[in-house]
Amino acid sequence: MTKFIKLIPKTIMVLLVASLLVGGATSCKSKKKLAKEKAAAEYAMKVDNAKKDLTAIINGSTDWTSDQMADRIAKIKDYNIQDEEVKGLIKQAEAKVEDVRAAEMRKAEEERLRREEEARIRAKQSEFAVIDNQFEAVANANGVDNANNQIQMALQYFETPDIPVLIIISQNGGFNDYDRPTTITKFLNYLKDKKVYKYRVESAKKNGMGKITELELITK
Amino acid sequence: MKRIALVLVILAAFGVSGAVAQELSPERKQAIDSLALEKVRDLSKYISIIGSKETPWSEANRVIDRAEELFMQGSEIGVSSLARPEISYYTVRKYFERLMRLNYNKVEISWYNIEYVSDLQRQPDGTYVGVITIFQKFKGYDAEGRLVYQDTTKKDITVYVKRKETQIGGRLIGFWDVLLGDIRVKETTK
Repeated sequence: MTKFIKLIPKTIMVLLVASLLVGGATSCKSKKKLAKEKAAAEYAMKVDNAKKDLTAIINGSTDWTSDQMADRIAKIKDYNIQDEEVKGLIKQAEAKVEDVRAAEMRKAEEERLRREEEARIRAKQSEFAVIDNQFEAVANANGVDNANNQIQMALQYFETPDIPVLIIISQNGGFNDYDRPTTITKFLNYLKDKKVYKYRVESAKKNGMGKITELELITK
Repeated sequence: MKRIALVLVILAAFGVSGAVAQELSPERKQAIDSLALEKVRDLSKYISIIGSKETPWSEANRVIDRAEELFMQGSEIGVSSLARPEISYYTVRKYFERLMRLNYNKVEISWYNIEYVSDLQRQPDGTYVGVITIFQKFKGYDAEGRLVYQDTTKKDITVYVKRKETQIGGRLIGFWDVLLGDIRVKETTK
C-alpha cells in the first residue's frame, strides 16, 4: 500500500508530461492547417479577382487606360496562377489591350489632325479676314449708295472688276463642287441685293502688287 | 467561247463602273438640291427689288439683267389676277419689265414655302430636272397708301441642273449650272 502511495506522484508526473506532449502536437497541427486553409482562400480570392478583372478588360467594362490595363495584366501574370481559364483570359485581355492602344493612337492622331485643321482655318481666316469683313460690309450696307461705296472699297483689293470668283458648294474627298463661276463685280452686287454674306474666303491668288486675281469662296 | 465570255465580263464591268460614276453621293446631291433652292430664293429677292417702287431705275435694270441670267433661254413666266380667269405667259425679260412698271404706288412681293414638289431626277442626257413650288404674296397700294389689290399665287418652277466645265486661270473647273425654266401658275387666291 505504501509502495502504491509512493508511485502516485510519479504516475501523475508521467500523465502530465504525456498530456503536454499530446496537447502540444495537436495545437501545432491545427495551426498549420489553418495557415494552409488561409493560403488556399487567399489564392482562390486572387484567382477570382484576376478572372473578374481580366473579363472586365476583355468586355471593355473598365474605365482604365490601356497602360492601366497592361499593369493589371502584368500583376496577374506575376501571380503565376496555374489555371487554364486564367491563362486563356490573359491572352484575350492582352489582345484587347492592343486593340485599345491602337484605338487610342487613332483617336490621338485624329485629334492632332483636327487641331491642325482648326489652326489652318484660323490662320486662313485671319489672312482673309479683311476681305471677309469687307464683303460683310457690302451685305450689311444701308441703302444702295452706301452699298455701292462699300463695293468700290472692296474692288480695291482686286486686280480688275472682272476677276473670277469660284464658289465651292461642297467638298468630298479633296474634290470640289462649284456653283457657276462669276466675277467679283457681279458677286459684290449679289451681296448688295441679297443683303447677306454666308461664305468665307477659301483661297485667293494674288499678283505681284498683292491684288487678288482669282478668289475661291466656300459656303459656310 | 471563253474569249467572248471574257469580253462580256469586261464590258459588264465597265458598264457597272460607268453607272456608279453617274451616281452622285448623298452629300453632293444635297449640295445641288440646296444650290437650286438658293437660285429660286435669289429670284424671289430679285422680284421684290424689281417690283419695289423704291428701287432706282438703273438698279432695277441691273437686277433684271441678273435675274434673266437665272433662266434658260425661251423660258416663260405665268401671270394671273383675281380680276380675270385666264393666265398670261410672258418671256422672262418682258415679265420683269412689266413688273417694274406696275401701276401701283407701292408694291410688296414676297415668296414663301419654297420647296421641292418633285426632287431633282437625273435625265438620260445627264441633266437633273426637278420642280420647286412657291407661294407668292402680292400687295399693291395706291398713292394714299391704301391696299388696292392683293392675291396669293401658287407657282411651280422647273429647275435644270447640269454639270459643265470651264477654263479659269489655266485650270479646268467643273461646276453645276442651275437654270430655271418656265414658271407655271397653279392657283390664285385672295
